[in-house]
Amino acid sequence: MEISVTESGEVRILSFQGNLDTNTSPEAENAINRLIDAGAQKLLVNFESLDYISSAGLRILLATAKKLKASQGDLKICCLNETVQEVFDISGFATILSVSQTEEEALGAY
Amino acid sequence: MIKELSRTRLLWDSLILALILVSCVMVPYQFAFNQGSALSGFQVIYLIDLFFIVDIYLNCCTTFRRHGVEVSDRPSCTKRYARRMMAVDVLGSLPLDLVAWVLIGNGQFLGGSLVLALRLLRLLRIVRLFVILKRWEAFSWSNPGTLKVVKFLVSILLLMHWLACIWFFSAFASGFPANSWATRAGISDSGAIAQYIRSIYWTITTMTTVGYGDITPARSAEYVLSAIIMLMGASLYAFIIGSIASLLGSIQAAKNSHWERIDSVTEFLRQRQVPAEIDAKVRNYYEYVWEHDRGMNKNEMLNDLPAPLRLEILLHLASNILETVPLFKNCSPTLRDEMLISLESRTFTPGSNIAGEGEIGRSVYFIVEGNVEIISTETEKSWGTLGEGDYFGFLSMVLGERRTATTRAVGFCDLLILDRENFNRIKAEFPEFSDVLKRASAERTEQISELVLEGIIL
Repeated sequence: MEISVTESGEVRILSFQGNLDTNTSPEAENAINRLIDAGAQKLLVNFESLDYISSAGLRILLATAKKLKASQGDLKICCLNETVQEVFDISGFATILSVSQTEEEALGAY
Repeated sequence: MIKELSRTRLLWDSLILALILVSCVMVPYQFAFNQGSALSGFQVIYLIDLFFIVDIYLNCCTTFRRHGVEVSDRPSCTKRYARRMMAVDVLGSLPLDLVAWVLIGNGQFLGGSLVLALRLLRLLRIVRLFVILKRWEAFSWSNPGTLKVVKFLVSILLLMHWLACIWFFSAFASGFPANSWATRAGISDSGAIAQYIRSIYWTITTMTTVGYGDITPARSAEYVLSAIIMLMGASLYAFIIGSIASLLGSIQAAKNSHWERIDSVTEFLRQRQVPAEIDAKVRNYYEYVWEHDRGMNKNEMLNDLPAPLRLEILLHLASNILETVPLFKNCSPTLRDEMLISLESRTFTPGSNIAGEGEIGRSVYFIVEGNVEIISTETEKSWGTLGEGDYFGFLSMVLGERRTATTRAVGFCDLLILDRENFNRIKAEFPEFSDVLKRASAERTEQISELVLEGIIL
């Protein structure tokens, strides 16, 4: 899995490519934690190129959202493909994690 | 119009049933034992007639079922009644005896009173008794076995009563000659009650093949009558013993067959030397199935029914989860029905695993009754309890992952299970399903997210 980080104002945008599963989630978790440790409060996770998310990936997103909420920060997610969107819908995470259709829409919501 | 299975009709039928019994006892008794006063008790007889005439009218206004559909238009009901039972009912209710008495006075018939003989037509009412009992079989509260016993006992008692009347009338009609049984038994001049007691005593001793021999026939007519009654008694005796055994058995048929099943399972377990502890669990399960479902295999029973009827029962059985489970609350009736019909009902015994840790999720489980504990198998750590109306299994099924905890029945648990094939089929056939799932999940996200954060996937 490839993770790239870009910036848009105060927001750090993480783009994931490939599968976010048990094998790749530690890598993703480290990348997110590094940003938070560096003082980032507003994170946007772009899943445009993400093919699949497992429970391990969902757990990282939930944990990050919880951590950021505690420090007045914010986690948003955008550009889910159909498979990932279904997982979000059925698990109900689409309602507790802030999900947007496009990156622009997500950035505008901060 | 009166509905065939209405409360009004039931109450009226109960009254008519009682009056039929009174008529069938009183009329032959009067004919055989009360010849001296031809019109005695006529007020009661004619009052009862009035009820039966009203009954004829009400029968014309009572609905009936044709091919399972209730027919309630008056002409059809009257036509059907006229074609089937009206003639018998009219003949059994017309006061022909009164007409005869007015026209020709108290004439003679077979050595007895013509007026009283004409009253015997009221015995035709017995046919209505069977019509009523047949109607009652359609009521859910009636036990077919009990009704059979009632029908059987009433028939036997009435038959004995009628035969006692005929037996006494055989002596009366010929004017109590010296060799008649009544004269030899010394009751020709006794009161009607004493005469009746001796007659019914003889009938019962003969019919039950006891035959003490204290009252015996001496004349040809009495021999013929005795032979007929003995033949009837012997066959009836065999019939009674056989029928009562099978009727008593049929009343508890369901219970007996359930316990027979338990016995054969226990026998099998014993033969295979299965530990007594497991044997006790099996018996415990069967006892619960009896208490809860009267031994009925719900899935088998439901699959036997046509889909619309199955759906009606399921709507009732699952009413508590339909009202509480968000998934069903948010459904359109069509989608809800489709889901219900696709669900499989299963009972889990206390302590049994419903969905094991490490297995890939293939079904969603809805708790209809009982509690389910979420447990880590290795550490036996409990992650909480799910109760009636809760459901689990979605996440591991949708993610296609192995479950990270076991769900275990705390007591007996009744669950409805939706398997992956049906889940995918419904999702493909009903576009609204995804939206319903989304809204339903939103209501319990907190619970799910807490478990996911702990790494628990069900």
